[in-house]
Amino acid sequence: MYTFICNDSPNGILSGIYDAWDFKIKQNRKFHSGEAAAPCSHTDISLLCREPENYSLFCEYLPVTESEEKSDKVAKTILKRLGLEFYDTLLNAILAITPESRSAPDKADAAYKTVVYALSSPLGAAALNDLANPYVHRIFALSRATGAEAHHLLGFLRFSELENGVLFAVIHPKNNALPFLAEHFTDRLPQENFMIYDENRRTAAVHSAGKNFMLVDASDLNQDILNRFSQKEQEYRSLWQTFFESIAIKARTNPKLQSQNIPKRFWGDTVELRTIGP
Amino acid sequence: MNIQQNQSLMEKLAILTDAAKYDVACTSSGVDRRGNGTGMGNSIAAGICHTFSADGRCVSLLKILFTNECIFNCSYCQNNCNSDVPRASFTPDEVCELTMEFYRRNYIEGLFLSSGIMISPNYTMDLIYQTLYKLRRIHHFNGYIHVKAIPGADPLLVEKAGFLADRMSINLELPTADSLKKLAPYKSRATILKPMRQIQNRITENKNEVALYRSAPRFVPAGQSTQMIIGATPEHDYQIMRVAESLYQKFELKRVFYSAFVNVNQNSELPMLPGGPPLLREHRLYQADWLLRYYDFTVDELLSESRPDFNIYLDPKCDWALRHLECFPVEINRADYRTLLRVPGIGAKSAQRIVKARRMNTLDFQDLKKIGVVLKRALYFITCSGRMMYRTKLEEDYICRNLIGDKTQIPKEIREAGYQQISLFDTGMELAP
Repeated sequence: MYTFICNDSPNGILSGIYDAWDFKIKQNRKFHSGEAAAPCSHTDISLLCREPENYSLFCEYLPVTESEEKSDKVAKTILKRLGLEFYDTLLNAILAITPESRSAPDKADAAYKTVVYALSSPLGAAALNDLANPYVHRIFALSRATGAEAHHLLGFLRFSELENGVLFAVIHPKNNALPFLAEHFTDRLPQENFMIYDENRRTAAVHSAGKNFMLVDASDLNQDILNRFSQKEQEYRSLWQTFFESIAIKARTNPKLQSQNIPKRFWGDTVELRTIGP
Repeated sequence: MNIQQNQSLMEKLAILTDAAKYDVACTSSGVDRRGNGTGMGNSIAAGICHTFSADGRCVSLLKILFTNECIFNCSYCQNNCNSDVPRASFTPDEVCELTMEFYRRNYIEGLFLSSGIMISPNYTMDLIYQTLYKLRRIHHFNGYIHVKAIPGADPLLVEKAGFLADRMSINLELPTADSLKKLAPYKSRATILKPMRQIQNRITENKNEVALYRSAPRFVPAGQSTQMIIGATPEHDYQIMRVAESLYQKFELKRVFYSAFVNVNQNSELPMLPGGPPLLREHRLYQADWLLRYYDFTVDELLSESRPDFNIYLDPKCDWALRHLECFPVEINRADYRTLLRVPGIGAKSAQRIVKARRMNTLDFQDLKKIGVVLKRALYFITCSGRMMYRTKLEEDYICRNLIGDKTQIPKEIREAGYQQISLFDTGMELAP
């Protein structure tokens, strides 16, 4: 048994897939030339995207060096042979539940096994429909989790206008939804300067008018500028709150249904529910 | 009328939002449009909910009336000309400012503009048209717009507004012409259905234009919808669903919305409804509506003259299945898509996933669970490779008893809003005949 340990990032996991595959081919070559005792198959290899909590005895642990070159090669192969839809699903699954990653340590392995399955079976990209396969199902479930949260945030995210006219939003998502959001808002607000800040991961998407967005590390963000809002900002916030309060029908009041539809973890980052929320 | 001078934008917004809140439709779905790189906005076919108000309803669009200074006296409506509510009117520029600034901050997905009838239908429709024109052409707003066509307005104005909007709707208000005459004397079936037909025909024509010239301007690309008030008049569910079905078939509507009646005017001619609005009835109608649109059911399969109302205790699909046990059990690995759709506990998505997944593997109950089938409902009606999940009997009474025990039959939010009194031991409980 061989376990490859990679970083918990798209680059890291795709590099891991590259190394694992490469290892399998080399191992088999060694077997045919008599250097190794046994052939190696994909089932002998697994991937892990964090340090294991327990090391098992008959398993060799191999670290993965992350590189753009490796991950590019894997991405290109997937795109060429399995198509964009497959690639998007896989990437969404890879972006699920970081940074702590406690809940999805198996995602790197599921990604690896799903790619192997799709490339080796005649099904190709349709392998994603085989939900009875546990790895495929895992990828399906993780990708749905990221997709669902990202879709929620398309609506629940709120921009505030800063003194310098820039629109600024803070989010605290469980999954890494930032790339998806950045793409959506770049299409929606092409002529605005905006920034979406993921406080859990300390990364930000920055967009300047007329250009494409960039994902940047934002651990040294200047908090001072972010609290200076434009003059009109408070006025529109109050208008929005007025609207929000007037639109509800008293005879149908139903707080349970409300918090079922907009879970409370989103309340703190909105304008209208922040004061009521946790 | 209670009209005040010099209202602030805040006061107007409060009044005209309050006046619009009984309109149900707040969806922003049905059209996919990329941003154009210069203006502001795009549109996603699935629709996006931006927040949920205290009654749990989705807020997607800035839902406001242009004015509530209405000359009509529909008795169910709080804005009728005899009621003593504060009145206000926006100007087109105010609506544009609110829409643009809210949209920039991602508060909303677009604008839902309705209106009371001020001076005349034409005058009102013209104001609405001016507003849309300013939004689209001067502010370059490219987001979602849902606009009401005013019954009785000139067809030319309706058509011009339709080229600027994504969705148009005309409210049917009440299911039958008689009820309409009684409660809304200034409106008639004819003035409502005429523009509805006009929009339908124009949409069809426009599809051909777009097929011919790809860049031809789009007319109401997200289709039209309507809404009916439930519980103000004595119609049965059967009549209501028949009306909805014919609207879908004959007018090609995208959606019909149902709105549980709230007696806002304390009008003595209308029912008082001490138990609150008929929310469970509304819920059952929506469930049946979905069965019509996505599950290939017809109204006559669900209801009949002799059983004109939906079962309170069971959802319409379970109710249908119990009366048609001869169609079950269904073999998951063989049955065609349409048959799968009719099984309680299997939705459109799970049915699609089953059809795809069984090409590679024989499915068993564990797989179904992963796929998203609600087994606690489905297990009485399905087999996997010839086996049932447990030893269950294919008997109406037995299955009915077990299904009623399932609390999700009456959704949590409705149970908690006042239906807790229902228990198995209530008297007068009727099983499906």
